[in-house]
Amino acid sequence: MNFIKCGILLAVAVSQGLAAETLFSNWTFKVAPGTKTGKLYVFSRGDVVSGVTEITLKSTAHGVTADKSEQVSVGDSMTAVHDGIFRDSWAERRRTPSATAGELGLVLPMYTTDKNGSFLEPAGFFSVRSAERALETPLDPPGFAEDLDSAMMYASTGFAYDSTSSILWIARGAAGITKYDISKGPNHPEITDYILNKTESKLEKIPTGKLYKYKKSKNASILDVAINPKSGDLWIASEKGVWIYDGSEAKSLKALDTSKRVTGIWMGGKPFQIIAEVSKPGKDGVQGSLMRSTDGTKFKKVNFLDTTGKVQKKDIFANSSYTVSDVAFLGDKAYIAVTSTGGKESGYLLLDSAGVRAWETDEDDGSQWLNGFERGVIDRDEIITSITTFPLTKNITGIAVSTYGNGISVSADSGATWTPILNRARLSDNLGTIRMVPSVITEVGAQSLVSYKVSRSSKITIEVFSYDMRKVRTIVKDAPREADNSRSTYPKEDYWDGKDDHGRACTMGIYYVRVKDNHGNIGWGKVMTMGGR
Amino acid sequence: MKHLLKTSLSIALALAAATQVYAIERKAALGGFDGFVERMGAGTREMGRGNTGSADTASMPGAYWNPGILGFRQNTNYTLNADKRDLDRMGGNAGIETKVGNRMGVGFAMLYRGDLAFDVINEDDETMGTATPYFTMMYLGFAYRATRQDAFGLSLSMSYDNLDVSEHIEGYEVVDDYRSPVTINLGWLRQWNNKWSTSVVIRNLSFSENLSAKWDRNTSTDNSLPSTEGVRPKILQIGLGYRSHIMGKPVYAWMEAIDYQVADTLLAFDPQLHVWTGRVGFECDIIEGGTVRVGMDDLDFTFGLGYKFNVRIGKKKYLFDVNYALLYESEAGLWNPLSFGLRGFIP
Repeated sequence: MNFIKCGILLAVAVSQGLAAETLFSNWTFKVAPGTKTGKLYVFSRGDVVSGVTEITLKSTAHGVTADKSEQVSVGDSMTAVHDGIFRDSWAERRRTPSATAGELGLVLPMYTTDKNGSFLEPAGFFSVRSAERALETPLDPPGFAEDLDSAMMYASTGFAYDSTSSILWIARGAAGITKYDISKGPNHPEITDYILNKTESKLEKIPTGKLYKYKKSKNASILDVAINPKSGDLWIASEKGVWIYDGSEAKSLKALDTSKRVTGIWMGGKPFQIIAEVSKPGKDGVQGSLMRSTDGTKFKKVNFLDTTGKVQKKDIFANSSYTVSDVAFLGDKAYIAVTSTGGKESGYLLLDSAGVRAWETDEDDGSQWLNGFERGVIDRDEIITSITTFPLTKNITGIAVSTYGNGISVSADSGATWTPILNRARLSDNLGTIRMVPSVITEVGAQSLVSYKVSRSSKITIEVFSYDMRKVRTIVKDAPREADNSRSTYPKEDYWDGKDDHGRACTMGIYYVRVKDNHGNIGWGKVMTMGGR
Repeated sequence: MKHLLKTSLSIALALAAATQVYAIERKAALGGFDGFVERMGAGTREMGRGNTGSADTASMPGAYWNPGILGFRQNTNYTLNADKRDLDRMGGNAGIETKVGNRMGVGFAMLYRGDLAFDVINEDDETMGTATPYFTMMYLGFAYRATRQDAFGLSLSMSYDNLDVSEHIEGYEVVDDYRSPVTINLGWLRQWNNKWSTSVVIRNLSFSENLSAKWDRNTSTDNSLPSTEGVRPKILQIGLGYRSHIMGKPVYAWMEAIDYQVADTLLAFDPQLHVWTGRVGFECDIIEGGTVRVGMDDLDFTFGLGYKFNVRIGKKKYLFDVNYALLYESEAGLWNPLSFGLRGFIP
């Protein structure tokens, strides 16, 4: 009944991609396993519209390619990613949670606009049944919503699906936990709201229609949830430690300090691991740490090791305000995606049985633990927003990361090599089309990618000219580039940042980009910069 | 005459070579700072001879080339020019000028440059639309002829640019149009005798500190983007003209040396803060009313043709001058064969 009352079928927009050049938007926030082997869900929110894409991927000798894609828009009044996600100082709100929830499909949070027009009003969740159907599933705000400082205090920050009992658990901050029972079918859900009563160690049901008085001394905000596949218990990450709910009572997990603010909890891998994030905003930014329990052992702080395996006193959390945006498990390893405040730095940490191992250690910069742009996970320096493992083929488990601005990257070899897959316009061969992406540089330092295609290996020279055809910049000269069916651009080098050869910002105006190869082909692109100081 | 040609060519080559040498060491590339509309010159006739015009009393529009030229006006003149360059670049200019009293002149000029097809592509590699950005400069000039040989002029100029991209950009409230403050250009032209003339033009002075033409550009209405700055470099342009005959045909040689000061100071003596370029042009009246021109503007080659004729309307004869120019932009390797211009003289 509730669902009939609340559920709204969204306008469905399905499109079929034909080549490896179709994605909803390059501004992606979430990757999750799709409906079948080889399929991957991607949630993207671009400037124009946001939606979910299901991409069919193939593993080939040259990496991973996208075979086709289907997209469904989630409209322009709702989205799964709230505004200011990278600037948010609360770790649990700096990620896009999701769960694969039986007949509900992929569930994602849902936000609508507040009175200022910002997407900061939690409104329920999206139920993505397939790449053709995404349903808005509204949830009522708590009765005490008006007493809270901000609507974001009851944002949905975690989902867990119990496939045995067909129950979706939703962590809703100060609004507690919502139990979304679909045992009678996804169109006939039973919705019950609970709040954690930590003094009585129980989940207290909030009577429908009655006002519940939230007390900080008695209650605790729920920040994440997970179903322990071993015991079937519901694990609850709260602002006061972790609680385990077995259906009758909620017990505090003594292995973790109950005064700690546990902002995320993830389970999986072989041997079975539970990873918890402890994080809170402090004077010097976000202060966080990672805890882990392997095969039921006691929780311990995750060690950070240098390249020789020596445990380091200072870990990555000591240097910057990192928070965990997602965790994926593959065998005995965990891939932990992290982002610093504002998204300045991002990547994933590779956690093995000993700890997070550095891929490089030098005297000046210390140990490098972050796998991202420098490690080739992505080919443009954009923010990595989530990570997942998924069945790429019958025999291969793929890893995918979403990025803010450069689509997704997929690996078919446990992260050794990565293939970026993003929305791209088709190009003519032999420099027949040069596209600057984007073609307007809104601030100096922002990159405009020079997109081109050659049909045979070439030496490429890229130069930038002003309107009056004075050369202002040589981007690359005789740089070797490979033939490619899609494009030959090497994103780490083939871009213009609005500066001349001496590093000075070029003045506002239109500029012309010439791409030449060593076979006599010449192509021109156009780009505009808004200038600089 | 041979000596003159030899000397002129030597100077031209030296200027070109100097430009190349200094281009390697400049802190700023010439194309990277403000003022390309101004740098590209005005007038098809002048383009055909390497964009030289500051030392020629017949150059038009005078308010642009050298406001001092206006002091030599004897009647009302007008000019209209247009060129279409490769890569969808469209340009043009217009000017009108007349004498005021016996010793003064006044003129107005407008220069236009634009791109007819700029695709706005977003981060998703989608073409959001096609913009037609354009950039204009307007000049209002006055001159006083102090002697029979000397005229001094002043022109006020300002620019108006329109990027035309805001409607295609999502996520930012981008501002399209920008106006520069009024800048001042000073010019002196001396006609030494029937053969020689010289000019000195100082461009882009302003009333601000350091006399620099400098202004802020707020690129978004909601402050979502950083504001940027426009600085028009101070320019010193020195011109030389020589007239003679070869085999009974009138020939003319024009040269200009231009210094761009790329610094927001009153005067900068550090050569690293200056960019130097040169222009040279020759023309010959090969037939009655018909002129052939060649020239070099920095490293770009130009070629031009002109033809003057009279049209009798009523009792008056009206002189017209039609011109054509071809431009080869050397660095970019682009041929631009479509430049046409008209000049008219109202008796």
